[in-house]
Amino acid sequence: MTDAASPAPAEQRRFHLGWREITLALLIVFLAYQVVIPFMMIIWTSLKTARPGDPEFLSLTVTFANYARALGSASFWRTTGNTLSFAFASTLLAFVMGAFLAWVVERTNTPLGRFIGFVLIARIVIPGVLIVISWILIASPNIGLFNQLMRPITGIRNVVNIYSFWGMVWVQALEMVPLAYLLLSAAFQAMDPRLEEASTMTGAGNWRTLRRISLPLALPAVGAALLLLFIIAIETFEVPLLMGTRAGIRVYTTEIFYDTSRTPIDWGLAATYAMALCAVAIVLLFVYFRLIRFGERYQTITGKDYRPRRIDLGRWKYLTCAAALVFVFLITGVPFLMMLYASLLPFYQAPSLAAFESMSLANYLSVFDSAKTITPMINSTILGPVVATAVIFIVAAIAYFVQKTQVPGRKVLDFLSFAPIAIPSVVLGATFFWFYLLVPLPVIGTLTIIGLAYLTKYMPVALRFVSASMMQIHSELDEAAQVAGVSWARNFFKVVLPLLRPGLLAAWFWVMVHAYRELTIALMLARSQNRTAAVVIFDLWEEGSFLLLSAFGVMMFLLLAALSTIAWLIGRRFGVQEQY
Amino acid sequence: MIRVDGLTKTFTANKEPVAAVDNVDFEVADGEMVTLLGPSGCGKTTTLRCVAGLERPDGGRVVIGNETMVDVAAGVFVPPNRRKLGMVFQSYAIWPHMTVLENVAYALEGQRTAKAERHRLAMTALDTVKLAHLADRPAPRLSGGQQQRVAIARALVGRPQVLLFDEPLSNLDARLRMEMRGELRRIQREIGLSSIYVTHDQSEALAVSDWIVVMKDGRIIERGRPLDIYRYPRHVFTAQFLGTTNLVPGTVDATDDSGGRLRVTTALGPIIGIDRSGALRPGAKVKVSIRPEDLSAQAVDGLANTFDGKLTNALFAGVAVEAEVSVGGTTLACLLNRESDLTPGRAISLRARPDACLILPEESA
Repeated sequence: MTDAASPAPAEQRRFHLGWREITLALLIVFLAYQVVIPFMMIIWTSLKTARPGDPEFLSLTVTFANYARALGSASFWRTTGNTLSFAFASTLLAFVMGAFLAWVVERTNTPLGRFIGFVLIARIVIPGVLIVISWILIASPNIGLFNQLMRPITGIRNVVNIYSFWGMVWVQALEMVPLAYLLLSAAFQAMDPRLEEASTMTGAGNWRTLRRISLPLALPAVGAALLLLFIIAIETFEVPLLMGTRAGIRVYTTEIFYDTSRTPIDWGLAATYAMALCAVAIVLLFVYFRLIRFGERYQTITGKDYRPRRIDLGRWKYLTCAAALVFVFLITGVPFLMMLYASLLPFYQAPSLAAFESMSLANYLSVFDSAKTITPMINSTILGPVVATAVIFIVAAIAYFVQKTQVPGRKVLDFLSFAPIAIPSVVLGATFFWFYLLVPLPVIGTLTIIGLAYLTKYMPVALRFVSASMMQIHSELDEAAQVAGVSWARNFFKVVLPLLRPGLLAAWFWVMVHAYRELTIALMLARSQNRTAAVVIFDLWEEGSFLLLSAFGVMMFLLLAALSTIAWLIGRRFGVQEQY
Repeated sequence: MIRVDGLTKTFTANKEPVAAVDNVDFEVADGEMVTLLGPSGCGKTTTLRCVAGLERPDGGRVVIGNETMVDVAAGVFVPPNRRKLGMVFQSYAIWPHMTVLENVAYALEGQRTAKAERHRLAMTALDTVKLAHLADRPAPRLSGGQQQRVAIARALVGRPQVLLFDEPLSNLDARLRMEMRGELRRIQREIGLSSIYVTHDQSEALAVSDWIVVMKDGRIIERGRPLDIYRYPRHVFTAQFLGTTNLVPGTVDATDDSGGRLRVTTALGPIIGIDRSGALRPGAKVKVSIRPEDLSAQAVDGLANTFDGKLTNALFAGVAVEAEVSVGGTTLACLLNRESDLTPGRAISLRARPDACLILPEESA
């Protein structure tokens, strides 16, 4: 029973080779393969002028020629400037809107709060590429609905041009608002209202309480949210690809895409841009984690009678409700309605009586007609659930080893499984492609290569969901099973996994939806046979088939909504409805 | 002086109005500590928060000193930051981004005092709670007991007219709770401030209060001095809630000749006890409350209130032995001398003095 005696059994266990040790070893090998190799590929390619696959590529001579070329060119610095200013502006806009919505829903008595929150979060089932396209259909020069409608009124040919810096910022910000909302509403919920009440009781008015107590306390959470949004805006691909090219605004991600998709492929330059992108992401992530840890220090004991304080807005609540509904309409309503409207038209036109009379389901029928659209839809429907299932098993095992055991090597697991958060999608897609050019495994052009890249991509976030759940499982439950003489593998499947169910379901749901709608990685790895639904949308866009695209988009949206509903129903059956 | 009249506060739960506080009246005399005691959900915290001004009552008045803070009928509501109160929260609500000294000195920022003077007063307050040596420590790096002391210093430093305590000790561990109890009482006596203290812990209430107000379902059940309310509760609920007691159901048989005594027929046989209300008549359904410490094992044959039974269970608790004795199927809890014979199943006779057997009307709910 003494402390001195306890290390002894651990010592004995270390030399025992059981399922537990084999699983741990397999996990480390898997993570090294999935995580370490992509990082090495970026670094190595950036130091070579030869392309992957050349014999010269594997020689040990390195060169800084790519860096010299990039850093010496004006376009690198222009791209850097574009990337940072675009990310900065869209982060601020998304933050302001997200903060307003989170405040309205969490801290005021504005009516329809729950509805507003639900519709915002439901937005995640709409693929990012569709959001971009719907805004182009609204506000592009000439064909944009808004421009067409305003022309007779204002007499100006094009009131707005979405193909511009501010157009890009607008769409990117709207795309990020649901995340900003989620991050900030969590921060608002975590704040103990007693801290503000204590200030009031000392005689402080609302203004002093806000300035001296509420704001300083919210600062770490606000800073962390801003940083995360900024990282996402820097790594974003859809908006720069579809809008930035015509606007003449290039950012890191589009540079990498163009360097790898034109002939001759400029591997070295792409890798250099990838290094720049990773470097920025790593620095920002470092600051992000510092802020998170700083914020945790602020967490205090909370009383049992914890009730968040809501501000009574009086008659103003109708104004905040109206403003929130307008935002929610712009964020979730516009992309959906736009797709629905365009999908029913025989040719693209502004709404009019004639337009509504000409509506038909013809576009939907042509979606079913073509293997070009059906196969990718099937591909995505396979990829989403399969990747989600694989990820949650891997992540559950990782979370178990990291949190519930003292095995040496668990820290390595923790670090490796979280490291991919620093690799932007466009870079991840490129490195997987480069690696399988080197390795003679026949995966290029298959769903397998996309699936493997997705495993790496979605592990970090899934791990956070599952870790949160794992933390709530007391080690004693696991120990009780061990004392009862149950084998490790049996215990893992019969005790640990069932207890993790809420976290696993949340992670599965998140990965499934994101893998289904993902564009960047799929596009980087796309060949003729492994195109996914999001890639087809991009293809149709390039061809100019807006209407077919819209019908396809609506179907993709409905399928995803159906999958989500099924997942939600299953979750509810297992009693996890309170965690959404 | 605090006076609360007809205080009422209704919440809406599942679209149904629920009276959290229902027509509550009480008074706190100058320098006295009044405890609102009751199980969770009885409305004690809501009452306190109405006095603080953190909740707006739907009816009633709150007067502190000479000033009417709330008068719903007259439309008076003084906001909490103008009431000059000190409050200690259950979660302490220590601001984690400040040091200990800053936490306390912040409470003086509303007054027109120089910074140096604020710090001097804050140090004096920290001295009162014996925490002056930690003044420069960041607040999150304090133990629970120390945070508690900071919270008290912060409540005191602004020279409030009244102190409010919202379950201040419930987050501390048992030993510290005992220690802080005495400490709180000492500070409150020294400063001589009228205080309201909310708790669900009966031993805490007995220890720190001048008066105890027992609440249940938003209403006041009864009030009294700690010893009185412990010895002579007027309700079964209070008898049960304050300490442990044996409640023996029975029917009033006859009034005894000597004043206030009744005979009750119970499963244990006839019990002679006292009726403080004087309202019980023969035939009334009652419960006889006998505290374990009032049951003695030194029984003398032939005296009233002697129960012959068997020892079924005995737990040595240091000061005494907590024992259970089965008397014809009814189990009585009692305290035995720690040297007693604890063989399970042995025969034992218990006796309670008639003065210690309190006869209470059976409660409807």
